[in-house]
Amino acid sequence: MFGFLNKLKGIELCSPLTGEAVELSGVPDPVFAEKMVGDGIAIKPTSGTVVAPCDGKVVQIFPTNHAVGIETSTGLDLLIHIGIDTVELKGDGFKRLVEEGVSVKKGQPILEVDLKRIEELGKSIISPFIITNADEVEFKEYKMGEVQAGETVVLVLKKNK
Amino acid sequence: MKQLIVKVQGEAGLHARPAGVLVKKAGEFSSKITLEKDGKAIDAKRLLAVLSLGAKQGDELTITVEGSDEEAALEAVKAVIEESH
Repeated sequence: MFGFLNKLKGIELCSPLTGEAVELSGVPDPVFAEKMVGDGIAIKPTSGTVVAPCDGKVVQIFPTNHAVGIETSTGLDLLIHIGIDTVELKGDGFKRLVEEGVSVKKGQPILEVDLKRIEELGKSIISPFIITNADEVEFKEYKMGEVQAGETVVLVLKKNK
Repeated sequence: MKQLIVKVQGEAGLHARPAGVLVKKAGEFSSKITLEKDGKAIDAKRLLAVLSLGAKQGDELTITVEGSDEEAALEAVKAVIEESH
Protein backbone atom coordinates (compact mmCIF):
# COMPACT_ATOMS: atom_id res chain seq x y z
CA MET A 1 0.00 0.00 0.00
CA PHE A 2 2.82 2.36 0.82
CA GLY A 3 4.45 1.67 -2.52
CA PHE A 4 1.23 2.69 -4.19
CA LEU A 5 0.97 5.87 -2.12
CA ASN A 6 4.58 6.74 -2.87
CA LYS A 7 3.92 6.42 -6.58
CA LEU A 8 0.89 8.60 -6.30
CA LYS A 9 2.14 11.35 -4.03
CA GLY A 10 5.86 10.89 -4.18
CA ILE A 11 8.12 10.23 -1.21
CA GLU A 12 7.97 13.02 1.35
CA LEU A 13 10.92 13.95 3.52
CA CYS A 14 10.68 16.29 6.49
CA SER A 15 13.34 18.73 7.56
CA PRO A 16 15.88 17.20 9.96
CA LEU A 17 16.33 20.60 11.64
CA THR A 18 14.28 23.62 12.65
CA GLY A 19 15.35 26.81 10.94
CA GLU A 20 15.42 28.28 7.44
CA ALA A 21 15.66 26.03 4.39
CA VAL A 22 17.78 27.46 1.56
CA GLU A 23 19.11 26.28 -1.78
CA LEU A 24 22.11 24.00 -1.79
CA SER A 25 23.96 26.46 -4.01
CA GLY A 26 24.12 28.82 -1.01
CA VAL A 27 26.43 26.48 0.91
CA PRO A 28 30.03 27.75 1.12
CA ASP A 29 31.56 24.40 0.14
CA PRO A 30 31.70 23.32 -3.52
CA VAL A 31 31.30 19.64 -2.66
CA PHE A 32 27.76 20.44 -1.52
CA ALA A 33 26.99 23.57 -3.56
CA GLU A 34 27.93 21.84 -6.82
CA LYS A 35 25.96 18.76 -5.80
CA MET A 36 28.95 16.43 -5.94
CA VAL A 37 27.58 14.30 -3.12
CA GLY A 38 23.97 14.52 -4.26
CA ASP A 39 20.98 16.85 -4.47
CA GLY A 40 18.89 18.34 -1.72
CA ILE A 41 18.63 21.50 0.35
CA ALA A 42 20.47 23.17 3.19
CA ILE A 43 19.10 24.40 6.50
CA LYS A 44 20.28 27.32 8.57
CA PRO A 45 19.34 25.83 11.94
CA THR A 46 17.95 27.77 14.88
CA SER A 47 17.77 24.73 17.15
CA GLY A 48 20.39 22.02 17.64
CA THR A 49 18.27 18.87 17.68
CA VAL A 50 18.72 16.78 14.52
CA VAL A 51 15.82 14.42 13.88
CA ALA A 52 15.08 11.65 11.38
CA PRO A 53 13.39 13.13 8.26
CA CYS A 54 11.42 9.91 7.76
CA ASP A 55 11.44 6.29 8.88
CA GLY A 56 14.69 4.53 8.15
CA LYS A 57 17.88 3.01 9.45
CA VAL A 58 20.91 4.91 10.70
CA VAL A 59 23.68 3.34 8.63
CA GLN A 60 26.46 5.71 9.51
CA ILE A 61 27.36 8.28 12.14
CA PHE A 62 30.79 9.72 11.60
CA PRO A 63 33.08 9.22 14.66
CA THR A 64 33.06 12.99 15.17
CA ASN A 65 29.23 12.99 15.26
CA HIS A 66 28.96 15.83 12.71
CA ALA A 67 27.21 13.86 9.98
CA VAL A 68 24.72 11.03 9.81
CA GLY A 69 23.72 8.69 7.01
CA ILE A 70 20.23 7.21 6.86
CA GLU A 71 18.85 4.54 4.56
CA THR A 72 15.12 5.11 4.24
CA SER A 73 12.52 2.38 4.08
CA THR A 74 11.70 3.78 0.60
CA GLY A 75 15.22 3.09 -0.72
CA LEU A 76 16.81 6.51 -0.46
CA ASP A 77 20.29 7.26 0.91
CA LEU A 78 20.23 10.43 3.01
CA LEU A 79 23.13 12.43 4.39
CA ILE A 80 22.63 15.11 7.02
CA HIS A 81 25.84 17.07 7.42
CA ILE A 82 25.85 19.56 10.29
CA GLY A 83 27.81 22.69 9.47
CA ILE A 84 30.73 23.16 7.10
CA ASP A 85 34.25 21.88 7.77
CA THR A 86 32.92 20.62 11.09
CA VAL A 87 34.94 17.41 10.75
CA GLU A 88 37.80 19.61 11.99
CA LEU A 89 36.07 20.15 15.35
CA LYS A 90 36.70 16.45 16.15
CA GLY A 91 33.36 16.07 17.91
CA ASP A 92 33.40 19.28 19.97
CA GLY A 93 29.80 20.52 20.18
CA PHE A 94 28.26 17.29 18.86
CA LYS A 95 26.54 14.46 20.69
CA ARG A 96 24.90 11.37 19.22
CA LEU A 97 21.59 10.24 20.67
CA VAL A 98 21.36 6.91 18.82
CA GLU A 99 23.91 4.38 17.61
CA GLU A 100 24.67 3.09 14.13
CA GLY A 101 22.44 0.30 12.93
CA VAL A 102 19.29 1.34 14.79
CA SER A 103 15.96 1.92 13.09
CA VAL A 104 14.50 5.40 13.58
CA LYS A 105 11.05 6.87 13.17
CA LYS A 106 10.27 10.19 11.54
CA GLY A 107 10.96 12.98 14.03
CA GLN A 108 13.13 10.86 16.34
CA PRO A 109 16.15 12.84 17.66
CA ILE A 110 19.48 11.53 16.33
CA LEU A 111 22.06 14.17 17.22
CA GLU A 112 22.21 17.05 19.65
CA VAL A 113 24.34 19.94 18.42
CA ASP A 114 25.54 22.99 20.35
CA LEU A 115 25.11 25.52 17.54
CA LYS A 116 26.56 28.38 19.59
CA ARG A 117 29.69 26.37 20.35
CA ILE A 118 30.22 25.57 16.67
CA GLU A 119 29.94 29.21 15.70
CA GLU A 120 32.31 30.17 18.53
CA LEU A 121 34.79 27.72 17.05
CA GLY A 122 34.54 29.61 13.77
CA LYS A 123 32.48 27.21 11.65
CA SER A 124 29.36 27.85 9.60
CA ILE A 125 26.32 25.98 10.96
CA ILE A 126 24.55 25.80 7.60
CA SER A 127 23.67 22.13 7.22
CA PRO A 128 23.27 20.31 3.90
CA PHE A 129 20.52 17.67 3.75
CA ILE A 130 21.28 15.49 0.74
CA ILE A 131 19.90 12.53 -1.17
CA THR A 132 23.17 10.82 -2.07
CA ASN A 133 21.62 8.41 -4.59
CA ALA A 134 20.06 11.40 -6.36
CA ASP A 135 20.55 9.76 -9.77
CA GLU A 136 17.88 7.23 -8.80
CA VAL A 137 15.21 9.81 -8.00
CA GLU A 138 13.30 12.63 -9.55
CA PHE A 139 12.92 15.76 -7.42
CA LYS A 140 9.33 17.00 -7.50
CA GLU A 141 9.45 19.74 -4.88
CA TYR A 142 11.91 21.66 -2.75
CA LYS A 143 10.52 23.73 0.10
CA MET A 144 12.40 26.86 1.15
CA GLY A 145 11.90 29.20 4.08
CA GLU A 146 10.90 28.51 7.63
CA VAL A 147 10.84 24.80 8.53
CA GLN A 148 10.14 22.70 11.62
CA ALA A 149 12.20 19.59 12.37
CA GLY A 150 10.26 16.39 11.72
CA GLU A 151 7.16 18.32 10.66
CA THR A 152 7.67 20.46 7.56
CA VAL A 153 7.97 18.48 4.32
CA VAL A 154 11.04 19.92 2.53
CA LEU A 155 11.56 17.43 -0.31
CA VAL A 156 9.12 15.44 -2.42
CA LEU A 157 10.71 12.78 -4.61
CA LYS A 158 9.86 10.02 -7.02
CA LYS A 159 12.03 6.95 -7.31
CA ASN A 160 13.09 6.03 -10.87
CA LYS A 161 14.74 2.70 -10.19
CA MET B 1 40.22 -7.71 -12.43
CA LYS B 2 42.78 -5.56 -10.68
CA GLN B 3 43.43 -5.07 -7.01
CA LEU B 4 45.53 -2.73 -4.91
CA ILE B 5 45.93 -1.87 -1.23
CA VAL B 6 46.17 1.82 -0.37
CA LYS B 7 46.47 3.80 2.84
CA VAL B 8 44.10 6.65 3.71
CA GLN B 9 46.23 9.78 4.00
CA GLY B 10 43.81 12.51 5.03
CA GLU B 11 43.95 13.50 8.70
CA ALA B 12 40.17 13.28 9.11
CA GLY B 13 39.83 10.02 7.14
CA LEU B 14 37.24 9.50 4.43
CA HIS B 15 34.67 12.04 5.64
CA ALA B 16 32.00 13.64 3.47
CA ARG B 17 34.23 15.78 1.27
CA PRO B 18 36.87 13.23 0.22
CA ALA B 19 34.21 10.54 0.04
CA GLY B 20 32.20 12.80 -2.27
CA VAL B 21 35.22 13.36 -4.50
CA LEU B 22 35.89 9.62 -4.52
CA VAL B 23 32.31 8.67 -5.46
CA LYS B 24 32.23 11.27 -8.23
CA LYS B 25 35.53 10.00 -9.63
CA ALA B 26 34.42 6.36 -9.37
CA GLY B 27 31.22 7.25 -11.22
CA GLU B 28 33.23 8.35 -14.25
CA PHE B 29 34.20 4.74 -14.96
CA SER B 30 32.09 1.87 -16.19
CA SER B 31 34.09 -0.69 -14.21
CA LYS B 32 32.70 -2.12 -11.02
CA ILE B 33 34.74 -0.58 -8.18
CA THR B 34 34.78 -2.07 -4.70
CA LEU B 35 36.49 -0.87 -1.55
CA GLU B 36 37.18 -3.24 1.28
CA LYS B 37 38.18 -2.61 4.87
CA ASP B 38 38.39 -5.24 7.61
CA GLY B 39 36.45 -7.73 5.51
CA LYS B 40 33.65 -5.29 4.69
CA ALA B 41 33.34 -4.69 0.93
CA ILE B 42 31.26 -1.83 -0.48
CA ASP B 43 30.37 -0.20 -3.80
CA ALA B 44 32.68 2.82 -4.28
CA LYS B 45 30.02 4.59 -6.33
CA ARG B 46 27.64 4.87 -3.37
CA LEU B 47 28.42 7.69 -0.94
CA LEU B 48 26.74 6.32 2.17
CA ALA B 49 28.46 3.00 1.60
CA VAL B 50 31.86 4.70 1.39
CA LEU B 51 31.15 6.70 4.55
CA SER B 52 30.00 3.55 6.33
CA LEU B 53 33.54 2.15 6.08
CA GLY B 54 34.49 4.77 8.68
CA ALA B 55 37.98 4.83 7.15
CA LYS B 56 40.43 6.79 9.28
CA GLN B 57 43.89 8.12 8.53
CA GLY B 58 46.31 5.22 8.17
CA ASP B 59 43.61 2.62 7.50
CA GLU B 60 44.29 0.25 4.64
CA LEU B 61 41.69 -0.11 1.93
CA THR B 62 41.66 -2.76 -0.77
CA ILE B 63 40.48 -1.39 -4.11
CA THR B 64 39.09 -3.95 -6.55
CA VAL B 65 38.15 -2.91 -10.07
CA GLU B 66 36.63 -5.03 -12.78
CA GLY B 67 35.64 -3.88 -16.25
CA SER B 68 36.80 -2.44 -19.53
CA ASP B 69 38.40 0.66 -18.01
CA GLU B 70 39.73 -1.01 -14.88
CA GLU B 71 43.30 0.18 -15.24
CA ALA B 72 42.39 3.87 -15.43
CA ALA B 73 39.75 3.46 -12.72
CA LEU B 74 42.24 1.88 -10.34
CA GLU B 75 44.73 4.72 -10.86
CA ALA B 76 42.09 7.40 -10.39
CA VAL B 77 40.60 5.92 -7.22
CA LYS B 78 44.04 5.30 -5.74
CA ALA B 79 44.97 8.93 -6.37
CA VAL B 80 41.82 10.25 -4.68
CA ILE B 81 42.31 8.11 -1.56
CA GLU B 82 45.98 8.96 -1.26
CA GLU B 83 45.49 12.67 -1.85
CA SER B 84 42.39 13.07 0.31
CA HIS B 85 42.50 15.59 3.09
